[in-house]
Amino acid sequence: MLEVRNGGFETTVQDYPGRIGMLSLGFAPAGPMDDYAFRFANVLVGNPPGAAGLEITAGGLVVAFHDERAIAICGADMGARLNGQPIELWRSYLVRAGDVLEFDYLQGAGFRTYLAVSGGIDVPPVLGSRATYLPGAIGGLEGRKLREGDRLPLGEPTTDPAQAAGRRVPASLVPAYPGYNEVWEVEATRGPQADPDYMTAEDMAFFFSHQWKLDAASNRTGYRLDIHKWQWARTSGGAGGGHPSNILDNGYPVGAVNVCGDQPIILCIDGPTLGGFICNAVVAKAAMWKLGQMVPGWSYIRFKEVTLDEAIALVKKQDETIHESNLERS
Amino acid sequence: MAEHTIKSPLPGIFYRRPSPDAEPFVKEGDTIAPGTVIGLVGVMKTFHQITSDVGGKVVRFLVENEEAIRPGQPIAVVSDEA
Repeated sequence: MLEVRNGGFETTVQDYPGRIGMLSLGFAPAGPMDDYAFRFANVLVGNPPGAAGLEITAGGLVVAFHDERAIAICGADMGARLNGQPIELWRSYLVRAGDVLEFDYLQGAGFRTYLAVSGGIDVPPVLGSRATYLPGAIGGLEGRKLREGDRLPLGEPTTDPAQAAGRRVPASLVPAYPGYNEVWEVEATRGPQADPDYMTAEDMAFFFSHQWKLDAASNRTGYRLDIHKWQWARTSGGAGGGHPSNILDNGYPVGAVNVCGDQPIILCIDGPTLGGFICNAVVAKAAMWKLGQMVPGWSYIRFKEVTLDEAIALVKKQDETIHESNLERS
Repeated sequence: MAEHTIKSPLPGIFYRRPSPDAEPFVKEGDTIAPGTVIGLVGVMKTFHQITSDVGGKVVRFLVENEEAIRPGQPIAVVSDEA
């Protein structure tokens, strides 16, 4: 059991890849916004990479342990302290009954961090996943973010915690997050509604060259980018609506760049599953983790166009990278 | 007399008013009690209250209304002068 003494700003139970295969029923997958850090945290403690752990947004979480476990924290630096002593990110530790882990606020670049506990968080799966889907209030612990007094059941570790502890992700595999006012390069494919049918070639060239500012009103549902006056290839959306960004309602891919009038919005893992606006690009699956570490109101994005084959190759490379064989004994 | 700096734990947009038409939560020169709300930080379409951990007089604000702020950024100075 993991005891929550302070839930922080927004801490949720997530698993990977979340509640997949249900877009046609209106369910977004949910899961960790930064699945790279999330999966590596699990691998460090000897869990399957997708086991349920905690997504900690912007800090403030305090938890107490009630038995011996291996733990790891991967992601943004929130000044984590175990029994008052600073502990390192991207490294596994052994904790015992009575140990207390505290997170302060963000200490530098990045926005979310992930806590994996050996055995995983053993909340009941809902529709096949333990991931918390906040807009639908399902999954995780009662479909909500954590708060003081919560007690999270833990699973049986599959690896001896003492053996899993004392390992680290090598520095070469720890991402360096761009800082405040800096630019993230995000791989993306051309979307289902790009040029020449919906946008002009100039619109798409602008899209792949502009430094887009991430709005402060961005969250797990959508990442809002700058307003831009597009040229558009059409004068109206026809039967789909009066504006050229309108189309007949259709399904949206996860990670789609959804252009609503003048505003592009990246549909994140809690995003809508269908609608009637064009999607001119789709963030590559292996680049989705970057969204999780951007700071709303401060980060910039430049999209780098990749082909579908290149996007698939990136996923394979990422899956090979997040593997126990790449860890070091520390 | 000692001056205390109130910091924001969150990045986001700082607001001095509960709504665009309302009066500011506090003004410079006001005397406040510990726990008084001095502003809001808006991020991810939610609002988080910034409170003073000390009582005293609001000396000055260090950020403008609707300015983007970083985690740990000083927001206001409060003096514990009686």
